[in-house]
Amino acid sequence: MDNILFFAALAVILVYAFAKLRFELHMMQLNSYRNERYFKWLKTNLVITTRVLEVIALAITGVLILAVGPGAAGIAFVLIYALLAYLLFVKKQKKPVVFTKRAQRLFATNAVLTILTGGIYFVLTGKTFCTVWVIGFTLFLSFIYIAIANILMAPVEKSVNQWFYNDAKRILEQRPDLIIIGITGSYGKTSTKHFLYRMLSEKYNVLMTPGSFNTTMGVIRTIREQLQATHQVFIVEMGAKQPHDIKEICDLVHPQIGILTAVGEQHLETFKTIQNVQKTKFELIDALPSGGLAVLNADYEFVANRPVADRETALYSSDNEQVDYYLKDIKYSAKGSAFSVYRKGEHLADFDTRLVGSYNLSNILAGYIVARHLEVPDSSVAFAIKKLEPVQHRLDVKVHPNGVTVIDDAFNSNPVGSKMALEVLKGMEGQRKIIITPGMIELGEKQEYYNTLLGEQIADSVDYAILVGKNITLPIMKGLKNKNYPDNQIYVAQNFKDAVNHLSTMTRSGDVLLYENDLPDTYEL
Amino acid sequence: MKIKIGVIFGGRSVEHEISVISAQQAISAFDKNSYDITPIYITKTGKWYTGDALLIVDNYKNTDNLLAQCTEVYMTPTFGDFALYGLQSSIWKKAEVFKIDVAFPVIHGTNGEDGSLQGLLELKGIPYVGCDVLSSAVGMDKIMMKMVLKESGLPVVDYTWFTDRSWHLDKQAIIEKVNKIGYPVIVKPSNLGSSVGVSKAADEAALIEAVELAGRFSSRIMVEHMVVDLKEINCSVLGDAANQSASVCEEPLGSGDILSYKDKYVTGSKGGSSKGMTSTKRRIPADLPKEQAMLIQDLAKETFRVLSCSGVSRIDFLVDKKDNKVYVNEINTIPGSLSFYLWEATDKNFGQLLKTLIDIALKRQRERENLMVSYSENIFNISGAALSKSGKS
Repeated sequence: MDNILFFAALAVILVYAFAKLRFELHMMQLNSYRNERYFKWLKTNLVITTRVLEVIALAITGVLILAVGPGAAGIAFVLIYALLAYLLFVKKQKKPVVFTKRAQRLFATNAVLTILTGGIYFVLTGKTFCTVWVIGFTLFLSFIYIAIANILMAPVEKSVNQWFYNDAKRILEQRPDLIIIGITGSYGKTSTKHFLYRMLSEKYNVLMTPGSFNTTMGVIRTIREQLQATHQVFIVEMGAKQPHDIKEICDLVHPQIGILTAVGEQHLETFKTIQNVQKTKFELIDALPSGGLAVLNADYEFVANRPVADRETALYSSDNEQVDYYLKDIKYSAKGSAFSVYRKGEHLADFDTRLVGSYNLSNILAGYIVARHLEVPDSSVAFAIKKLEPVQHRLDVKVHPNGVTVIDDAFNSNPVGSKMALEVLKGMEGQRKIIITPGMIELGEKQEYYNTLLGEQIADSVDYAILVGKNITLPIMKGLKNKNYPDNQIYVAQNFKDAVNHLSTMTRSGDVLLYENDLPDTYEL
Repeated sequence: MKIKIGVIFGGRSVEHEISVISAQQAISAFDKNSYDITPIYITKTGKWYTGDALLIVDNYKNTDNLLAQCTEVYMTPTFGDFALYGLQSSIWKKAEVFKIDVAFPVIHGTNGEDGSLQGLLELKGIPYVGCDVLSSAVGMDKIMMKMVLKESGLPVVDYTWFTDRSWHLDKQAIIEKVNKIGYPVIVKPSNLGSSVGVSKAADEAALIEAVELAGRFSSRIMVEHMVVDLKEINCSVLGDAANQSASVCEEPLGSGDILSYKDKYVTGSKGGSSKGMTSTKRRIPADLPKEQAMLIQDLAKETFRVLSCSGVSRIDFLVDKKDNKVYVNEINTIPGSLSFYLWEATDKNFGQLLKTLIDIALKRQRERENLMVSYSENIFNISGAALSKSGKS
């Protein structure tokens, strides 16, 4: 009888072990398999229902083993752990665990460690129900076990990654003809990548690292899974969270052309100073071969002030005529922008695009410099630029049937972006310039300062301001007042609905309307 | 890393053998430093095979023997799946998978040159050489082609068309129409390449006989005015919708009034081995006044452009010797021997021609990828409120 109960208890606890270890694996996976992140997360998540229930279960079964005897303990094991397993299995997960190869390895290691603990105890003591209890206790401690398993697997994972790295390297070595272009920068690298891709596609078969694949592993995956024999150009977006990140990618791909779109104050928690950001971003330029083309955005001080030797440099700017390539005669309209590109005083080409905003145009210019270098005819580049698509809700210009031009910048919420949006609004041909905005949020202690500044900028470039939300827009109002903006050109709306209703009474054909930032529905205005 | 080309040939077509020869010629001309070639042979019954044995022409004399040495394969219509799968697989024999980067159809006539194969390749999303579905289909159908060319102001001879069934129902009305065109006429089935089922008719009795013959090959029949004192001129065009270049002109020298199937393809076979289009008696370049040659080249390019062709095509012209008038007769969107002999006489050897064709195929693929496509949004996911709102407005 005891034997049957023992095996029943063992079976139930093993089922529970599966559920619990899967849960721990999931948590580790969400923390990117990094122990330091996992422990940080654990600080706030150590005391959770599951673990509390486990303590209760262990207390009950422990007391029963000692005080009542194995029979009662066995029944308690079966009932309690079946319930716990059930609770874990029905638990809903927003993002379910993914059993990748790595996850399988970690899960198996953790399971072996758990069973080993129970097995050793059994061999040493020969006590059946105590062994089950020990396994239960081990499972309670599984948040430590998974970290140990993670440490044990680290060398294996490292060699697996090394294998992928070498495999990607081998694939690239078979392609000496492939033109490799690296793009990095604190801002604008993804847009530049897309623009360049479209321009080069006029002449070449181009592969680019997709979406957010801008780490070494992402680049390796792109090479191993997407690089085809038909590709002639490979555009690699390189992201950096800490020094040497970009060097690591360059050591793999060896770019021949590098674009540096910006050096700004980003990820300062790891970089500490802008000089470190600069150093890291320039790892791309330093990795270029002797004579390789370095395309540098001179609009950023920390790009322009760094000397580059032994490379062919192309400094570009959206307005500074002292550098190699620059934009001139920028005109915004409801159809987008028209602009000319000059090189050292020499007119090169005129372009039309549906995109607006000097940052967009600056990114286009970076793409054009490379496309020109790779001998894509200007007429083809012009067609490609004409065909570039704006990203939805990011300076997305549309003319409505009633003749009102709407600049939709609803997804922007940072001071640099809103300044540019106002520049576009100001430069746009039209009757009245109207802004509708609740201001910017989530800017921490500088929020009030930036909103006041926004108010001042609005006063300089807008004929009519609709502020959404009374309290939240007080700083903007302050900015408007600083500039003596007339009251009869301001409307403070209760909410977006009110703002839209007010708009419909006043807009007429020829007006230009800027939607700047859109707050989530739940935000209290 | 070489670009893997799948050359698809054979097919359920009366020009099956010609396709085999064209494909063999192409495969041997590919620059093997840049390309890996996978031969994909479609039998007359429509089964697909691959294997190295397909690379030797003499093997085709005994098809059963040949196929025994090959692997039967299939392609899925799945988008993005560029693999060839072995049809037979078991625990012992693994499903063989070959991946290709670019598909190269070299099938003349039905089920290969008419858009059907192109449709499969289109579903797969694989880059492929030559015309797309629309231009293949229009180019293959003599009636549709004539309609489009006439509408676009290109010179074509007078014609009329009808279905086999309507011919049987109301022969007299059709004959009257034909009488208006004036004899002699040529009767053609609408959808076949080569000259199969084509015959001329000098009078009504011959017309009836000719239509009966054509009706055996196609349910849609075209009758067109015959240019009696005729010179046939062919010109090849290479390019796509944006850029076209024309080859030198050739004059095929047939033994009869019109180039029959026998003239076109079988003449050279007496010696044992078939050489396809290359063995047809012809004069390159054609003996034409310079202006006329240039006119023909311009018309060839315009025909290619109007039909929005891609790759290499051969456009056949009729020149009326009496008044020197030039008519566009037909287009071959996958011409015999890929017209390489015309390009050799112009400015490209066969290898260069093939490279250009692959480049054009990849360019078209890029242009497609650049077009805006969005069907990722699931309309069923839009909340009920939004749907009812849009219903009201």
